[in-house]
Amino acid sequence: MHHSVSCLSYTWSFSRSSDGPTEPRMRNPSLIKEEFLKRWIIALRRCTSLKKNMNILERNKVVKLSADLAMASARNGTTSWSRALIANATRDNDNRILAEQILGPESEILVKRVSTMPFKTCNRRKIRSKRILKRSCSSAIRRVRKTVPRKVLANCIAKRLIQKRTHILKSLVPGGEFMDETTLMEETLDYIAYLRVQVDVMRSCTYC
Amino acid sequence: MNRALPEMSHCLNGPGKCTDMTVLERQRARVRWQQSYLGGSDFGGVFLETSQADQVGNFQDLVVGGSSCSVLDDVGTHSVKPDPGLENGWLELGRLELPNMGFGSGGSMNGSPTGLEMNSSISKTSSCPPTEAQSAPEAKDKVSVPAEKMSSAAGRDSSKKRKADKMQNTKVFAEDDAKYKRSKACAEEGESKITTEQARIKNNTSTPTTNNRETSADSSKENSKASEVQKPDYIHVRARRGQATDSHSLAERVRREKISERMKYLQDLVPGCNKITGKAGMLDEIINYVQSLQRQVEFLSMKLAAVNPRLDFNIDDLFAKETVPACSADFPTIGMSSEMTNPAYLQFNPVQQVAACCGFEMGLNSPDMALRRTLSTPVSLPEPYLDASCFTQLQPPPTWDADLQNLLNLEFHQERSISFPYQPFTGSIEASNLKMEI
Repeated sequence: MHHSVSCLSYTWSFSRSSDGPTEPRMRNPSLIKEEFLKRWIIALRRCTSLKKNMNILERNKVVKLSADLAMASARNGTTSWSRALIANATRDNDNRILAEQILGPESEILVKRVSTMPFKTCNRRKIRSKRILKRSCSSAIRRVRKTVPRKVLANCIAKRLIQKRTHILKSLVPGGEFMDETTLMEETLDYIAYLRVQVDVMRSCTYC
Repeated sequence: MNRALPEMSHCLNGPGKCTDMTVLERQRARVRWQQSYLGGSDFGGVFLETSQADQVGNFQDLVVGGSSCSVLDDVGTHSVKPDPGLENGWLELGRLELPNMGFGSGGSMNGSPTGLEMNSSISKTSSCPPTEAQSAPEAKDKVSVPAEKMSSAAGRDSSKKRKADKMQNTKVFAEDDAKYKRSKACAEEGESKITTEQARIKNNTSTPTTNNRETSADSSKENSKASEVQKPDYIHVRARRGQATDSHSLAERVRREKISERMKYLQDLVPGCNKITGKAGMLDEIINYVQSLQRQVEFLSMKLAAVNPRLDFNIDDLFAKETVPACSADFPTIGMSSEMTNPAYLQFNPVQQVAACCGFEMGLNSPDMALRRTLSTPVSLPEPYLDASCFTQLQPPPTWDADLQNLLNLEFHQERSISFPYQPFTGSIEASNLKMEI
């Protein structure tokens, strides 16, 4: 993967949650790397102090979980996928204690913030409204099929493709199920950057 | 029309609070009406959420907002069918002013570069509300007051210009309108509502020719089958269904612009996306990339878990990773860079420490403490000493490599094992050997 960190030198900054200390999300990839590494190692240390001898599967889980939570906490609740990650991690009880341990002393604050984010309520409304929209759209589409010019048909197919792929992407990005497309795109951007950092750091750790 | 004019002049003359309040009330009524019409689209929910205070703040700034609302009031009652030409003129005027309202609660502008981008990327289109979709995520954002003031001032200036031309070709108006609005790149609930209403007004106007012209403008510019569908529909069917799809398609267009903007960023991020232009293809690439990254993470984490029985990593790992290849590559230049001093230093102390510890072979505290001390003060060592020791010690480079790696790993293991039960050196040496082979 040599299309490497140097390409992360973009300076996009969506104005969505723009102000203040949370903002320059993507300015400096090496900074992100360092922060991730720091947090991850701290989280790992916390985990291992909990339980000394874990089998390989547990360790795997711990590694992944700590990495996820480290990065999510680095985002500090600005991005939706990070909130979703934390929410997922703390949801089931067996993971919860571990997750809270990993997050450390600031975990309560973080978890509270995650849970109070207007995450689920928007979703229900959006889902319902989306259903209504779909119904209205499908009636339009049905009308189209009667006339069926070629261009329109091609458009139809393209739209279906895009819908399917968007759906897949939503399932990939954590917390993506409930987002609209523009938010999904932003979240994907952020998530991709995070994944790259994670892969880089982990790879460098294995080759030590 | 006659009713509209005096109201218009009244509004224009004085931005009194009375008009604002009535405007606000009308706005609210329109919200309710529109919600019932559109059946609670995405934006409806968001509209409800934005505070009323923001609306008031908006309307106080605007003069012409009152005018547009007065025009729209006719629509609301369905009673008056004003002269289409004049109405279109007023409509354009009203629509023009809407961007001002957009900045009230719509949140910060995306910044001029993105706004300009949108402007350039958008071909001439018929009027659409600039960013209904944007209003959804941005409706909760903070208000950027300077942007608002600037935009409202700009809007007023252009409004004077437009007033002079209001009787001209509606098509031109529509296009310029859309462009102007897009360049602001911000939306607010009132704005989008009012523009959807105006779209409805457009649909409602009696002359089919004007309508057809406008919708043909729509369809030709939008390239979407939804708008093409509208043409047959909207001659036969009365405004409702046309309205819904019309506003929906308009909103979709704006949303699409946003998405394509994001896609551009994604193109930079995802390798190999430069050649792909279509949205579906891009999405495909993105999905593949995300999946491959996730799989890599899985694989690497499994590997890490397998390799390290104790899950002990060191923050120096990162530095070591950066410098170990360099170490093995250029030994003579080891003392030169500051990054080198760290591992270079570490190379030698283990030599001495290992010897010492093997000699002791006892309780962990003393060697570990010694190690810790040495590790924690790497940079205190003066450079010339380091260089000298480097060079003297590093004379046999080829045979040193493997030992070097071993010692580095050993040393790291030692440092880490401070918090754990002490393990014999031989064990850890074997582990590090194993690591090297992997």
